[in-house]
Amino acid sequence: MAFLIQGRIFGLICLLFIMAAVAYYIKQAQAGKVPKVRRIPGIDAIDESIGRAVEMGRPVFCSHGIANLRDATTGPQTIAGLSVLNYVAKRCVAVGARIVVPVRQPEVWPIASDIVETEYKLAGKGEEFDPDSVQFLSTEQFAFSSSYMGLMMREKPGANIMVGAYWAESLQLAETGSRIGAMQITGTAQTSQIPFFLVTSDYCLIGEEIYSAGAYLSNDAALIASLAGQDVGRFVAVVLGLLGAITYTMGSRILLDLFAM
Amino acid sequence: MTIIATLLQVLPYYFNIPALQSAASTASNAVLLIVACATFVGVISILQVHGKRIQRRSEGWPFSVLVFVFCATMVLTGLPFAEYGLGSSNTIFNWIFTNIQTPLGGTMYSILAFFITSAAVRAFKARNIEAAIVLVSGTLMVMGNAPLFTNAVPVLADISLWIRNIPNMATMRGVMIGAALGAIALAVRTLMGIERGYLRGGGEE
Repeated sequence: MAFLIQGRIFGLICLLFIMAAVAYYIKQAQAGKVPKVRRIPGIDAIDESIGRAVEMGRPVFCSHGIANLRDATTGPQTIAGLSVLNYVAKRCVAVGARIVVPVRQPEVWPIASDIVETEYKLAGKGEEFDPDSVQFLSTEQFAFSSSYMGLMMREKPGANIMVGAYWAESLQLAETGSRIGAMQITGTAQTSQIPFFLVTSDYCLIGEEIYSAGAYLSNDAALIASLAGQDVGRFVAVVLGLLGAITYTMGSRILLDLFAM
Repeated sequence: MTIIATLLQVLPYYFNIPALQSAASTASNAVLLIVACATFVGVISILQVHGKRIQRRSEGWPFSVLVFVFCATMVLTGLPFAEYGLGSSNTIFNWIFTNIQTPLGGTMYSILAFFITSAAVRAFKARNIEAAIVLVSGTLMVMGNAPLFTNAVPVLADISLWIRNIPNMATMRGVMIGAALGAIALAVRTLMGIERGYLRGGGEE
């Protein structure tokens, strides 16, 4: 077992177990057994917010966070944000809303731009795509934040959708959106920023909900089924948590030793 | 490619195989190179947006001129040719960095205090049970961290510590575990090639 790194074996077992559960439910869905998914009001409200912006004659702002795609913890949040951007762009093109996408990371900008442009092309409106609608603002956190706030103050969006990884700028952006009267749907897995989004937004996606957004919005059976596999992992976490509390209270270190394996 | 790239990042964390570690290191270096090149893409985007604004004399176009001027100044003075007095030791580069960029960043960070205040005013309204709990626990947290109150009522410090370490910590851990599971499921979907929302057109042909 020398090729396995000591202290990470139990983590690997858990990872493989959860991955197997997710893969199993995806295969089940492909065979026709699709689990039921609870409604997520924040995601359901995306259409409403875009419709509201159209009625008001204002643009829709959609941000996928300020993280890059490389980081292990925040990269997936950016991918989740881009999935939401994909849906928002699709809906904006369908109802004729102008979409504005502020970008912080240069390596994400071509992807975001491509997503929006492709939605225009798929709808047969390629010539209506404005390349300036997907704007790279700055890699500097607060330069990005001030530019975003400035854009919001000038453009007065009817909807501001922010899903992805945010840090200290979360409150600045959401509070500015709130002041200009935009309907706001936010979401992040950054635990330190969730309270800020909760108090300033109309709807807030908390933690794992942002990762389900892509599956939820696509209505794809296999993607929805993967959420059930996720629940297996949650069940394991709860069981281990309870067992850990009980065994440690009884003076046993069996689970701690197992985790350190 | 997605599968190979993902496995190259995951496997070396668990397996001590030199060839795998080396391949992962090479892949990471390639990513850094791509990111370095992407920086220029960002600059091109900025120049496109602000160039058009100046050309059309759009509202606020003089600010776009400023963007051009400072962008060009920082790029030219920051070129890595120390023998010509350029680079990070250049006087102009340093002056702009120290006297413009740093204070502006600090200012933006510090105005968070005002945003927090206005957000707190909105949040601290007991409209329902949940909001009332937020109001009470938030007030206790503020008081527990202010010496003015903890000197008079020492138990406030213990109460705020309890709120932070027990209910707050339990909630945060729940959110973190859920988020980690969500990220794993997203990774599996990406590995299996069924999560295509981040691709152009959601992978539609």
